[in-house]
Amino acid sequence: MKLLRHELHTLTGAYALDAVDDAERDRFEHHLNRCQSCSHEVHGLRETAARMAMAVARTPPAGLRERVLTAAATTRQLPPVTDVRPLPPPRGRWMPRLAVGVVAAAIAVVIALGISLAAARRQLDEARAQQRAVAAVLNSPGVRILTRRTSLGGTVTVMVSRREQKVVFTAAGLPRLPRAKVYQLWLLGPPRTRSAGLLPPPSGGGTTPLLASGLARGDSVGVTVEPAGGSAQPTTTPIVVIPVSS
Amino acid sequence: MHAPEPAPGRGGRGGEGDLDWLLDRVARGDQAAFEAVYDALAGPVYGLICKVLRDPAQSEEVAQEVLLEVWRAASRFDRAKGSAQTWVMMIAHRRAVDRVRSASAEAQRDQKSAAAAGLVSVDEVAEAVEANLDRERVRRCLDSLTDLQRESVTLAYYGGYTYREVSKLLSVALGTIKTRIRDGLIRMRDCMGVNW
Repeated sequence: MKLLRHELHTLTGAYALDAVDDAERDRFEHHLNRCQSCSHEVHGLRETAARMAMAVARTPPAGLRERVLTAAATTRQLPPVTDVRPLPPPRGRWMPRLAVGVVAAAIAVVIALGISLAAARRQLDEARAQQRAVAAVLNSPGVRILTRRTSLGGTVTVMVSRREQKVVFTAAGLPRLPRAKVYQLWLLGPPRTRSAGLLPPPSGGGTTPLLASGLARGDSVGVTVEPAGGSAQPTTTPIVVIPVSS
Repeated sequence: MHAPEPAPGRGGRGGEGDLDWLLDRVARGDQAAFEAVYDALAGPVYGLICKVLRDPAQSEEVAQEVLLEVWRAASRFDRAKGSAQTWVMMIAHRRAVDRVRSASAEAQRDQKSAAAAGLVSVDEVAEAVEANLDRERVRRCLDSLTDLQRESVTLAYYGGYTYREVSKLLSVALGTIKTRIRDGLIRMRDCMGVNW
């Protein structure tokens, strides 16, 4: 038993460097909760590792800054953890925050579209329903955010809620298409492929969020270039495919 | 959305405490603070991910995910558990190794062949594009390790390998690698004067 504990203790270094597999990580974290000297050591070794990261800094690619800041401006932040254990809070408690999120998201859309206040008022009801659905995805516990580059350039970002079976999709830096073509979003599933709508033409480098419902196990999200008006099934090779429900 | 007041150590390493303060502001939705955090840490985030993944296009994708996660999860930063810089680098490293470890067997083979080159990774530290104070110190401290400590630590951290994989790559017993990683890191910590 003593040997085992000693063995676990020497894992501090490998653990601090993420050099353990998942099973070992779980076992060690269990141990860490009860071993104060271990967790103190892990903290120091992680600080050390971070210094090693600072030493290999590289100038990030041009455009990354703008993409990150743009994405941040339209991404809801996680609330602080108030429980001792980071369990997802019960659904009801999200509602007031959800309301704030809906309004904020609606405002973001209004700004993104650059539409006048009068026009905004007419569109607000419609936008509100859409934004409520978007906010529900962004607020759902365990939402995952994935970003991929497309073969035409630019990036797409999906926010996936398996619980809501929905995906919120945005794109940035996609090249402008000829008038007779559109970008079409698909849910590519093992049973069948479903259209998830046409992407609004990119304005100011990005698209407004698009919501796709009915996400099924094994689905991927894909984008193709289709004739104006869209197609019933993809007719070209996808410019990006993102597996979303692993 | 005005700029954060004392305009702390933008871009430089004026103080890690400033970053902690900025990240607290980010958690409250301060976009100007997030820009400052980006400017201070995007370079190390991207550099570290490049080190592990090697492929610049993939590294850019992961860096974007990581930096967005910093914005999204800023409220989860707990300065009692470490500095802001460390919190961000932990997310970056974890995402990078997740990407490596979930990659296909084929991609893993590529990574392994690249790892043979990883054995000279101490020299690669010199390749880092951006000059910074940490670089010299890290290199000096890495030099003070034994060869096995240095190889184990750099393969695990910069290479993104598990200690089991490091043990295979170096043909050294598992228990030995585990302790060398720990000894090596402790020596690095003391050499760099990390106070924790």
